This record gives sequence, C-alpha cells and structure tokens, in this order.
Amino acid sequence: MARHNLGTVIRFEVGRTLSKPRFWVAILAVPALLVVIGLLVSLSGSGTDASTAAIAKSRFSFGYSDASGIIDPGLAAKAGGHRVSPGSGPAEVRAGTLTAFFEYPATPAAHAVRVWGADTGFVENGRYSAAAQNLLVASAQARIGSPALAALAAGSVQTDVTTYDARGAVTPGLAGVIPPLLYLLLFYLLILLLGNQMLSALLDEKENRVTEMVLTTIDPTDLILGKVVSLFVVAVVQILVFAVPLAVGYAFFRTSLNIPDLGLSGLSLDPQRMVVGALLLISGFALFTGTLVALGAAMPTAKDAGPIFGGMMILLFVPFYAVSLIVTDPSASIVQIFTFFPYTAPITALVRNAFDNLPLWQGIVVVAELTALSAIVLRVAVRIFRFGSISYTSRVDLRTVLRRPSAARADGAARRAS
Amino acid sequence: MSETPATVTVDHFRMDFGSTTVIRDLSFEVRAGETFGLLGSNGSGKTTTIRALLGIYPPTAGRLLIDGTASRPDAGVRLGYLPEERGLYKKEAVLDVMTYFGALKGLDPRAAKAWSSAYLDRVGLADKEKTRIDKLSGGQQQKVQLGVTIMNDPQLLILDEPTKGFDPVNRRLLMDIIDEQQANGATVVMVTHQMEEVERLCDRILLLKDGAAHAYGTVTEVQDSFGAPTARVVHERPLPRSDLWRVQRDDAGVAVLEPGPEVAPDALLAALVAGDAGVTSFQITRRSLDDIFVEVYGADARSEG
Repeated sequence: MARHNLGTVIRFEVGRTLSKPRFWVAILAVPALLVVIGLLVSLSGSGTDASTAAIAKSRFSFGYSDASGIIDPGLAAKAGGHRVSPGSGPAEVRAGTLTAFFEYPATPAAHAVRVWGADTGFVENGRYSAAAQNLLVASAQARIGSPALAALAAGSVQTDVTTYDARGAVTPGLAGVIPPLLYLLLFYLLILLLGNQMLSALLDEKENRVTEMVLTTIDPTDLILGKVVSLFVVAVVQILVFAVPLAVGYAFFRTSLNIPDLGLSGLSLDPQRMVVGALLLISGFALFTGTLVALGAAMPTAKDAGPIFGGMMILLFVPFYAVSLIVTDPSASIVQIFTFFPYTAPITALVRNAFDNLPLWQGIVVVAELTALSAIVLRVAVRIFRFGSISYTSRVDLRTVLRRPSAARADGAARRAS
Repeated sequence: MSETPATVTVDHFRMDFGSTTVIRDLSFEVRAGETFGLLGSNGSGKTTTIRALLGIYPPTAGRLLIDGTASRPDAGVRLGYLPEERGLYKKEAVLDVMTYFGALKGLDPRAAKAWSSAYLDRVGLADKEKTRIDKLSGGQQQKVQLGVTIMNDPQLLILDEPTKGFDPVNRRLLMDIIDEQQANGATVVMVTHQMEEVERLCDRILLLKDGAAHAYGTVTEVQDSFGAPTARVVHERPLPRSDLWRVQRDDAGVAVLEPGPEVAPDALLAALVAGDAGVTSFQITRRSLDDIFVEVYGADARSEG
C-alpha cells in the first residue's frame, strides 16, 4: 500500500528542523570548537618544538661521579662534563660554582641517578635529568659497540605477524576489526543524536494538541515512519557536518594538525561480518526507535518519560563493563546473556561481530530476534500513539490499550464491510 | 425535509475502553447537506463517537461510515475537523503550519499556501504569515485553527464543541463560516452544549445518554417527544368546545391549549376560527432544548458537580 502523506510529513519535519538557526548553531559549534582546538594544538605544538630545540641546544657544564664505571669520559667531556668528587658535587652546586652534578650509582639499572642543579625554572630544569640519562645511554651504547645491537637492547623490536584461518587464507587482524566496528560507532551516534529527538517527536504532537487533526489525514504508522525517516535524514546531515571537516582536515592538514596516519588503505572488509554488522545496526536501531516512540506516546510529557529513557541509555553502556570478556571469552554466561537480551544485544553482538567471535548462527538469531521484537514494539507504539496521544494530560493505561484485540478485529471487519 | 443519501452512517456502534463501556449500542445517520447536532453531557461519549467515526479509534463493534466507507486518511473524503482539544505546532510560522495541514489534506502545497494567504488576509492576519503560532494572541490562534479546519473546502465538517473557548468575535466568524459551508452544500456535524446554537443551526439532533440514543430526529420531533406543543391563543370571544384540544389555562382572553394527538396546528387554528373565538393571536410553543437538556442530563450534571 502506498504510504499516504509520508512524503509530506518527512518534508515538513526535515524542513522545520533544518530551517531553525539554533539547529545550525548547535551542530556547527562542535566542529568549530574542534577547528579552534586544532589550531591551538598546532600553534602550541610548534611552540613546544621550538622550546624543546632551544633547551637541547643550551649546553651547560656539569660535574659527575661514576661508581658504575659505565660512563665514557670522552663522551662526558664532549657534553661539557668533568669528574667531581661525589662528596663535593652537591655543595658546589649549592654554592653556585657548578651548574649541575650527576651521581651515577654502582648499579644504574637498579638505583636512580641522583641529579643536583641550579634552578632555571620548572620546564628548563628538565634538561638536567635529560642530560644525565643521555650520557648514561650513550655510554652504554658505546660499550656495546654496535648501534643495531644497542637499539635491540633498548627493546626497539618490530614484528610483522601473518596468521591463517582454517582454509589457509591470511586473516586480516586489526585491519579486519575496524570496518565492522564502525557500525558500533554509527549505532551510538544514531542513538545519542536521535534518541532524545525520537522521544520528543511524538511528545511535540501531544503537547501541541495536534494529534487528532493529524490523525484524520495520516495513518499513525505512516506518521511514525515519517518521523523516524526525517530524524534519520537530520542525523545524516549532522554526521556530515561533523565528518566533512574531519575528512578535509585529515586529507589536507594531517601533518600540520599532528593527526596520525590511520592507514585506511590497509583495512580489510569481510563480507559476512559487514553484512551481519549492517543487519545488527538496522534491527537494533529499529528496536530502540520503536521503544522510544512507544515511550513518547505513552507519557504525557518529556519529563515523565525521562527516567525510562535514562534506563534505556544505561542499557546501551552496560555491555562495556564486560567488554574485555566479550572480546576474549564470548562463551561466558554474562556475554551470552548480553548477546541475546534485546536491549544489550545490539552493542554486544556488534562488538563480537567486529572481533570475529560471533558465530553466524548467533548473528542470525540476534538479527531475527531484534527484527521480530522491533515489529512488535512498533505495533504497540502505533497502538499506544493512537490512544495515548489523545490522552493529553495523563499517562496511558497500557493494559487498556493492549487489551483491545476485538477492537482491531472490528476495525478490520468494518473496513471489509465498507 | 426530503430524504437524501446518508453522508454519515453509524450502525450498532459499541466502544469499550478496558472494562468500561462508553458507547453501548448507537445507530444514526447524517444526511447529505444537513446540519446535525450530537448532544450529551460530559462523558456521554460524543467525542468518542466522533473519534471512532474519523477512524482515530477502532470501534469495539459496529460500523461507522462516511460516504459509505470506513474513514481512512486516504479514503479521499474532504473532511474538516475542529477537535475539542485544539492546538497547532506552536513553534512554527503560521503560513508553514497552514501549508502543512493543507498538504496533509491533499492540497498542492502552492495552492495551500495561496489559500492560506487569502484566508489570513480575510481574517486580518495578513501580516502574521511568518509569525510563530505561539506569538499570536489566543483569538488569532483560533482564527488560524478555523482556517486549517476549512481549507480543503470540506464536504463533511465535524465541529466538536465549536464555540468552546472562542471569544465573541471569533464565535461570529465561526458561525459565518458554518453558514458559508452549509450554503456550499457541506454536511455539518456539531457536538455542543450550546442549545441556542443547536436550535439556530441544526436540522436534526441526537441526545446521547448511557451509551445509546436517548432521542433522535428533527429538532421539532425531539422537542415534541418530551411533551406536546401548546398553542397560546389570544381571543376576544369565548373558546368553542372541541375534542381537538384540551384547555390548560384560559385567563383574561389568553388561553393555552394542548392539541390532541395527531392534531396539526393549522387544523387547531381553523377550528378556533370556525368557532368564532375572535382569535387575534395564535402561537405554537414547544419546550426549549435547554429545558429538555436539563431534564435529561440534570442528574448527571449534579452527580458530576
């Protein structure tokens, strides 16, 4: 059946949201703030670089004592150091005859190198310990005699791991986790951006007392569908407003803004996980949408709907308390409960799907469960809206609304008879 | 009034909310072009009946048809509905709201905008097109509400407590609009407590009580069902004796006569003239709808109070 007046509702809802200056002020404020912060970071980054270079260049004379025997006297002299008796070094510094004194213990790996220095300010005082450390490391590397061995001894080791699945194909590792994990990000964004608006979309109708007039021109299902679609369109606009500056910044100003290389070209798309992730996103979104719409229809005001809405938002974050378990031990009871309990299922299943520990059959069961429940909740939402939206000042008696199968049958019979 | 096709048919309508039965068994028709009054005390089920007729509530049992079809938004019937609970999108501009409702009612958005502009001009709100609804006065909002109700040139106009909350200026505007719509051939259904409006505007009425029709017919028929009409006769000579009437009172040349069953007023007058009563004035009087309303719903109103 053609959706009567659906387009009219979508145009009106999208138009009235996007035509409000406060909408643009609210969503442009965040990117504008990001740009300002980026510029400040960039400016302070170049300032930090300059001051670091200035500190590095500032040579100073120092004395040292070496109980370990590791310090190379040639390197020490080149750095501006000379041997001083351990007993007199600190006193000379205090007297101002020596800028700094380093006391290297017998076992520097087990005991701290003690440093005394003339105060040159909180930031610049850091040069003393840096110089003491650098001299020790350089001396140790000189003793090893090979820069490569010295680097390895410092733990600077890189590995390139290749793993194979049961069919002998190379598995993508982290590059395969990121793309399906984006569904999780999208799910959160949608719910956080739209949740409150979904709740208030129908409350708007109710609080403005326009429901009755609207319902003579459009079926409640179509009205709700139109609201959800228009909210979705508005959310896409919001995401684009966030994403476009970021994409532009990443593409053209990555270096100057110190944005790390995300290595997007190395990402791997697993068709099954991408499809299951998309279905989990859609069905999970539908369930939360239907529930919020029903809540908005049942409650007389946004204030009344607040506590239940808050509870639903908490359910969105509960799985994160067990995220390490979700990733490492998917067979754990709590993970299984979270996977199949409808309001924790989208998050849990999306994480498991991204980390490739959600068997296909479980993915299918969760998607089917969420889809079926969404359909039921949406039907209940329509029914609550039909009755509840006209209960302008009171909460809907759900037992009354839901106990009306005969009414629905009579409605169908009347339509058939006509 | 000649029999015309029914625009509204309500046939054995029943409505339960949980264990509460609001409408027990209600049947009536509203004929094309007539003005019909649905009367009843608060909570008698008038608004529920209208909502069910408009398809907002599915009935528990029975049929409610408009032009032979159960009401659906896409049925193509041009409806104008002024609900008892009124409101508009308060944070939107007047013209945007009117255009939206026009589009929902099937008008082309440009036509809806043009009609709205013309209407706003007519009711003195031409300079408020871009003003938010909540920045208008209450009376101005009522005018916008009326415009939204009639903007699709409705063939069926349903008015639930139409004058409720209206100031006298807008009440006059409303009455003019109802007259215009009637003149254009619209069928009007009014739900109201205002008996003077009913007597002035309605062709037929229904009194709803205890979930069923307590009285139903033309205004005259309903009045007569609550007591026979009487004739007030001013006469110069003694009244003749006759079986056509019973004298209720006759004092100083002014008599109140109760016509017998099936006796038409002109037959009564003819008999008085033939009896040489010297009639100088003859007036049929009926019970007022106000009286009837109090008689039917007085106990309900007292128990509510």
